[in-house]
Amino acid sequence: MGKGSKYAKVTARQGWLSVLPVLVVILLIRGYPLIVGLCESFTNWNGMNRNDFIGFKNYMNILKDPVFWDLLKNNIIFLLFIPIQLIVGIVVAVLFYDETPGWKFFRNVFYLPQIISSVVIGYLFSVFFSYRGPVNAVLKVFGFQSREWLGEKGSAIIIIILCLVWVNIGWQAMLGLGGMGSIPPSVFEAAKIDGAGYFKRLFKITIPMLGRTIEYSCVMSVIWVLTGLFPFIFSMTKGGPGYDTTTIDYMIYLKSFGSSSEMGYACALSVILLVIVTALTIIQMKLSDRANDWEE
Amino acid sequence: MVKKKKYPASRIVIFTMLSVLALSFLYPLFFMFINSFKTKSEYRKSAFAFPESWNFDNYVYMLDQFELLRYFFNTILIAAVSIAIMMLLAIFASYAFARLPFKGRGIVYLLVIGTMFIPAQVTMIPMYQMFSKLHLVNTFTGVILCNIAGGLPGAVLLLTANFRGIPGELIEAGKIDGAGYFKVVRHIIMPMGKATIAINVILSFVGQCNDLFTPMILLQEMDKRTVMVALSSIMSKTSGDQAFQLTGLLLAVIPPLLLYICLQKYLVKGLTVGAIK
Repeated sequence: MGKGSKYAKVTARQGWLSVLPVLVVILLIRGYPLIVGLCESFTNWNGMNRNDFIGFKNYMNILKDPVFWDLLKNNIIFLLFIPIQLIVGIVVAVLFYDETPGWKFFRNVFYLPQIISSVVIGYLFSVFFSYRGPVNAVLKVFGFQSREWLGEKGSAIIIIILCLVWVNIGWQAMLGLGGMGSIPPSVFEAAKIDGAGYFKRLFKITIPMLGRTIEYSCVMSVIWVLTGLFPFIFSMTKGGPGYDTTTIDYMIYLKSFGSSSEMGYACALSVILLVIVTALTIIQMKLSDRANDWEE
Repeated sequence: MVKKKKYPASRIVIFTMLSVLALSFLYPLFFMFINSFKTKSEYRKSAFAFPESWNFDNYVYMLDQFELLRYFFNTILIAAVSIAIMMLLAIFASYAFARLPFKGRGIVYLLVIGTMFIPAQVTMIPMYQMFSKLHLVNTFTGVILCNIAGGLPGAVLLLTANFRGIPGELIEAGKIDGAGYFKVVRHIIMPMGKATIAINVILSFVGQCNDLFTPMILLQEMDKRTVMVALSSIMSKTSGDQAFQLTGLLLAVIPPLLLYICLQKYLVKGLTVGAIK
């Protein structure tokens, strides 16, 4: 024993001391507020002095309120961008993989929106789709009526979906390209020799073999729709018209720091959002575990 | 023979489609550029034409009246300090997660990584309250703490995976040569993980500079704002003058754009690794 166990002890002590600062930061800045938030979700806290325990009343109110189901519906409608992003992204990735002329240039350009701030992109879209904006100007030439794209029910949500697709094509293409890199090239060679055309290769080889990349990007995108749309909605529609483009995460902002300060209510809404996201994260982790098995 | 004839036609279609898509990404940059030199009325007259003259009024006004440079300074300062501390903490912790077994390591790792998907909105309300008690609202320290805690899980995830790939013999050899804990990290772990560390720094930097939510809630005082917070208030104040708005947007785009162009070669390789939203 002697030396071996002493060495292990030193290693263990070094290990603990190395992770301790990270653990402290995480517990203080993320863990503690999380627990406080959970407790406050059972109160009628208004951010100031009023802070009484009211049991599950916030949750009951949220679930009874038709607005909440509208928010959830909006979140689900926004999910529509995922299939579009997937199809366009994968097709582009396949073209890049085949080294279509200029692919390096296209790759660099398509990734641009990922580097630019979502806020800037949102404002850019709101300028482009404003009443006197360039989109209406072009449509006018073709005889269409000008309209308030981001101010009308229906069209606002479509423009945001369009924006999300536009932002994520490059991300999806890069992810797809990375995924294709792990497919042995011999598979494609064999298929080419057997005379499989472009579409046959796409549907019979590429897409099935990209299964885990597609799963990964679906789950990541769903989580993103639930938690990452704030800057887009803030800059494009402010949740309007009405609550037409308000998502759960934007509502949390509105109820706490935005239009009112119903902190208890907002905390309860946060807990609901967290439950949904956690469920999805567990699915994601299960998926990636399976993917690791598959790789080894 | 038939095949050869078909080939170029489909290539042209593909090239055209990709070019149209590329145009949708590049044209807005061009549009911002030409309109940033126009006056309000010139923009109204024609948004697509080149400006009648290259006047820099919008820029001068943006930098002078709205003090955009100060906001750039704030933004970069906050991001730089956050990332320096975050990476330092993450490197030591990831070394332990990858190489120094101790009791409870798995649980601690899961705890850290598990906070990655907790949305900022969820913890913001109690955190704001906590910070206001500690007098950290309207201070850079508050935002920096938030950024560090928010970025740590992702950094630890990537670095731990990377450090696991470093050959064990290399570390053992170092230890036999008498290298202590810090020497191993400094001279073996960090050089071997250089590429991953760099990618992480770049992506975190861009991400933090572009963030709106956290600085918007925590920094309400005018002269403490970051670019994105200032921009969003400028945008709502000047909704009548779109040429001016586009100037602001362009100025906010330029720094990340330059960074992207300079580091492109390097970034593209690492992007698939760091492709985490």
